[in-house]
This record gives sequence, C-alpha cells and structure tokens, in this order.
Amino acid sequence: MAEVRLVDIEKKYGNFLAVPKQSLTIHDGEFLVLLGPSGCGKTTTMRMIAGLEDITSGDIMIKGERINDKPPKDRDIAMVFQNYGLYPHMTVRQNIEYPLKLRGMPKADRKDRVRETAEKVELDALLERRPSELSGGQRQRVALARAIVRTPSIFLMDEPLSNLDAKLRVTMRAELKHLHHELGVTTVYVTHDQMEAMTLANRVAVMREGKIVQLDTPKKIYAEPADLFVAGFIGSPSMNLIDGAVKDGVFRADGVEVPVDLADHDGVVLGIRPEELDITQDPGAAISGKLYALELTGESTLVTLRNGPSSVCARGHADFEADIDSPCHLAPKEGARIHLFDRATGERLL
Amino acid sequence: MKDRLLPYWLLIPAFIIVLATTIYPLAYSFITSFRAWDLTKSRRPEGFVGLDNYIYAASESQFLNSLWVTFIFVITSVILTVILAMALALLLRRKGPMHTFTRIILILPFAMSPALIGVSYRFMFNPEFGVIANGLGAVFPALQGVPWLADPQLAMGILVLTDVWHWTPYMTFMCLGGLASIPRETEEAARIDGASNLRIIFGIILPQMRGVILVMAVLKTIFALKMFDQVVTLTGGGPGTSTETLAYFIFNVGFRWFDMGYASALAWILTAIMMFISIWYVRMLLSERKMATA
Ligand SMILES: Nc1ncnc2c1ncn2[C@@H]1O[C@H](COP(=O)(O)OP(=O)(O)O)[C@@H](O)[C@H]1O
Ligand SMILES: [Mg+2]
Repeated sequence: MAEVRLVDIEKKYGNFLAVPKQSLTIHDGEFLVLLGPSGCGKTTTMRMIAGLEDITSGDIMIKGERINDKPPKDRDIAMVFQNYGLYPHMTVRQNIEYPLKLRGMPKADRKDRVRETAEKVELDALLERRPSELSGGQRQRVALARAIVRTPSIFLMDEPLSNLDAKLRVTMRAELKHLHHELGVTTVYVTHDQMEAMTLANRVAVMREGKIVQLDTPKKIYAEPADLFVAGFIGSPSMNLIDGAVKDGVFRADGVEVPVDLADHDGVVLGIRPEELDITQDPGAAISGKLYALELTGESTLVTLRNGPSSVCARGHADFEADIDSPCHLAPKEGARIHLFDRATGERLL
Repeated sequence: MKDRLLPYWLLIPAFIIVLATTIYPLAYSFITSFRAWDLTKSRRPEGFVGLDNYIYAASESQFLNSLWVTFIFVITSVILTVILAMALALLLRRKGPMHTFTRIILILPFAMSPALIGVSYRFMFNPEFGVIANGLGAVFPALQGVPWLADPQLAMGILVLTDVWHWTPYMTFMCLGGLASIPRETEEAARIDGASNLRIIFGIILPQMRGVILVMAVLKTIFALKMFDQVVTLTGGGPGTSTETLAYFIFNVGFRWFDMGYASALAWILTAIMMFISIWYVRMLLSERKMATA
C-alpha cells in the first residue's frame, strides 16, 4: 500500500503564497496527474512530496506514516526531472546503477538489475555512452530507467516529456502508460499539457494559483468541468465559451439563442464543446453567424463562425465545404451537454 | 571598397601600441638573452655569446635555488588556494540573508594591492609589535617571541599565506560561478537516490567542476610563477635566499647586478615554463570539451 496523503499542506516562499492549504489523497497504484498552467504550483507540490522543499505547514503521509521530516532518500520515491537531471560525468550504465550502488546492493546483482531495466526501456545498446552522446528521447529513457531500477513505491515525474518533440512525446506517452500498467507503482505526474493528462491519468487534479480546483477522472473532468477555468483549460480545441444572459428560460447572445433550464441571470457564460455542435442549413438554429474559417485536421474539419464579438467552433465532417463569410448555422446535437457558468465568479450554474 | 578596409585602418593604432609595448620588448629581450650586456659598462648590448647565458644558468646555484623556491611556493599556494576556494564556495553557494554581505567581505582581500599585503603582513608578524605575532604568543605561550620572518621555513609559510589570502576570494567567485552552472537536478536526483552530503560533493558536484578547477589551477599557477610584489615587501627574498623566487631573482640579476644578458635568459626560462603550462592546459581543455559535446 503506497498511498500518499497531503493534509492541509501549505507552501510560502517568504511572503509569497505558492500553495495555499491543500489536501489530496493519491491512492495506491494510481496514476495521478497534476495539471495546470505554468506557475500554478505543480512543481512546488511535487517537490514537497519528494522532500526537496520544506513544507510551511501541514502533513504529508506516505503509507500512513507522517514523513514531513524524513529526507528524500528515506521516502521510497524516485523522481524524473523535466531536464532529466542525469549525471553528465557517468555513463548510462553508471547512471542507472548509481541508486543501487548507494543502497549497497552487491555488484553482481546490480549488473543483472541494470541489464533488466535497460532492456525494459530499450537502452541495452547504449549502456556505455555518456548522456551528452544521447538524443532527448534516449536521455528521457535513462532518467526513467534510473527511476524504476530501484522499484520504489512512488514515482514522481515533473513534466518528463516537455523537452521532447511532438511525435516522440506521443510515443513516450504510450510507453509510460504501459510501464505504469506493468509496474503498478503509485505515480504522481506533473504536466501543463491537458492532452497528456487526459491520456495518462486515472485521476486528474486541475490546479490554479496553487489550489486544486477539480479532482476527478479525465472523463468526468471533460464532461463536467467544475468551473469556467477548467472548462476553458480542458479539451482541444477548447470548449466554446459564449458571453450572454439568461432570461425567461433562454440563453441569449449575439446570434445565439439556446433554451436552458435556469432562472433569469445576468452575466452568464454558455459552454459547449465543438464536437457537440452540428452544422445545419436551418436559419432558425440556436447559433447563427458568418463563416470565419475552415481548418481541416485530417479526420474532421473545424468550422469557426463569428457573430459580433463571439466566435464559435464546431467539429464538422472532413468533407464539409462552404465559402468564407457565407451565413452559417450551428445546432447542439441530440443530448449535447450545455454548460452554464457565472461570468463573475466562474462558478458552475448548470 | 573603402568601407571594407575601414576596420583594418581602425585597428592599426591598437596594433602599433601592442607591437611597441609587448612584441618589441619580447623580441628584444629574446635577442639580448644570447648576448653579453653589463649595464654598468655599456648602454648597449655587446657581443653575441651564443647559449652561454643559458648554460651558465644550468649550473648556477642561486638560480637553481630560486627554481626550487618557486616550485615549492607554486605547489603549496595553488593547492591551498584551490581547496580553500572550493570549500568556501560550497559553503556560500546557497542564497541566505547574508548573501550580499558575505560576498562584499569576501572580495576585500582581492581588492588590496599585493605590495601592501606584503608590507602589512610584515608588520603583523613582527615579533615585537606585530598583532598576529603577539596574538599568537598570548594564546599559545610557546609561540612567544618566535622570529617569524627570520626563520626560512616560517618565512616561506607566511609568504604562501599572504598569497593564499590574496587569491582565495577571487578563486571562490570562480567556483561559485562554476557551481551555479551545475544543474540543480543532478544534486537533487542524487539526494533522492540516497547519496550523503559528502558523496554528493565528491561524487556529483566535484566531477562536474573539473573544467572550472582546471582553469583555476592553471591561472593560479601562472600568477604564482610570476609572483613578485610580496617577496619584495614581505621578505626581500630572505632570510638568506630562502624565499627568493624566480621572478625576484631575475629582478635582482637585472637591476641589482645589472647583468641584462643573463637576466633576459632567465626571463625566457620563466616564459618557457609558463608557455608549457598554458599549452598543456589548452590541450586538456580541448579534450574536455570534446568529451562534453561528442
Ligand atoms: N524557490 C522559489 N522562490 C520563490 N518563489 C518560487 C520558488 N519556486 C517557485 N516559486 C513560485 O511559486 C509559484 C509556483 O511555482 P511552480 O511550482 O514551479 O509552478 P509550476 O510547476 O506549476 O509551473 C510560481 O509563482 C513561482 O514563481
Ligand atoms: Mg514546473
């Protein structure tokens, strides 16, 4: 059981409150992703778990034991850093072997273990090279191998893929997911990339200004964002967010009229995902405007229309074609999910 | 067309100044080193004597003594300075509340003139009224009345001390620069992997400081080889010739004995030693770089 519990942890740098009192439980074997924009306190939170950063107040429990004052090496964790943190003066083999050596494992066992681990991440051919002689993806693998070689009970990964190119990132993502499946080790993973979070996580904790604003499964976060911030952050292309007001059971904005089940309310933001909109010829449709742009993505076409200040995007068939500036109409699909948020507070209304 | 040549025209004055102040004297002294020239007898160099000046040096005991003195001085002052600077830098690298203050204090010894350092240390070690001599005597009665600068070994020790005192701050800043360029993650990864503080220093930090330490050692070696001011003001080469370094000996030969031919030859021997070290160092540095980028 390697459950991690953060209880009311808080971190101040001088007078700057980086993480205000937060609590979070990471279950045994879970892949939990901390997701949020840059500077929201993800790294700080992870470093507190690792013991690299003092906690201003609160408790961190690993396997039910309070470990606030334990040094990093006694927390049974392994960490993968954003810029790898490899030892430049050691070969790949020595890098992977180092944690075992420090823990006093006999030489013969170490050798076997390094070989096994290197095979797992396909590094066996590169063991005698130095980090400076490796590509970014290979370095990332060494960092990963160094983390898993000791079979710790918790993995901490701080944006491990962000220095890789887009294609490699997708491959490594799958490898990470497979590795987690194979090892079943509790993993805390930090990223600002919502796609990475969605694809990897069992649960996602969305953070903003140090606070966890929503903690749930990727599916749930996608379908029911807790507030305006999460709604705008998750999904690509992101959710359409239209400023308007609700009166007599209808949400109105320029060119938009959607019946909703909400009492009269000013300053409302209506949210609907591009894939939940249909393109129609019906001039009485919920959303009308002029076609602004067409973007073919391969499997579909993104259709953007504009009316006054608001623009709305829909995912249409790849074959869809129309003239720019021609009138265009969109209607929510059957059973489409309409989200309503309060403009001022960002709170979810419906 | 004109524009293309303009940079060269602009460089010419600087080139002439460099030529006149360094290249010409260098060449002149090199030629002089193969001639006889007693300044008390002639205002111009006299006849060519071939390698006589160099051959004479090889068997002259005072020159050999100065080589030995220089060797001892260089080795001890370089090793002590580098180790001390490294240790200080490791202590000072974390940004604390005293950060700026400690750094200002630290730079003071380096801001002092070496000649002044020599004079003040001579006063401080004066057995009768020197503050260090008296202070040590008060704390350790056995050290009362020790003739610090009159003892060959002690004089050498104090000479090294002044030099280490003078150079450690600067070298500490070099170390701090080197430490700052080491990615913090390597140290943190080692901490998580289970390395003790000592292991982190010796196994992770120092290996990554190799290049910086090499630069420091070579720079310090060259500065120590030509060290002159403190010998003049602190010991005057004494007692006897026990602290007579090569640079100081060359000065004596040229400007006390007025044997310019011999002094030039000695100066070129010193230059050759420094060039040898510099070339070795550049080669080390190149191979280091090759290793880092290969
Ligand atoms: N050592 C530090 N001293 C002062 N402020 C810091 C320090 N480290 C991080 N911060 C601040 O804390 C906030 C959170 O940082 P961080 O956890 O690195 O964000 P993230 O990883 O989500 O991008 C940022 O505003 C950052 O400027
Ligand atoms: Mg970060």
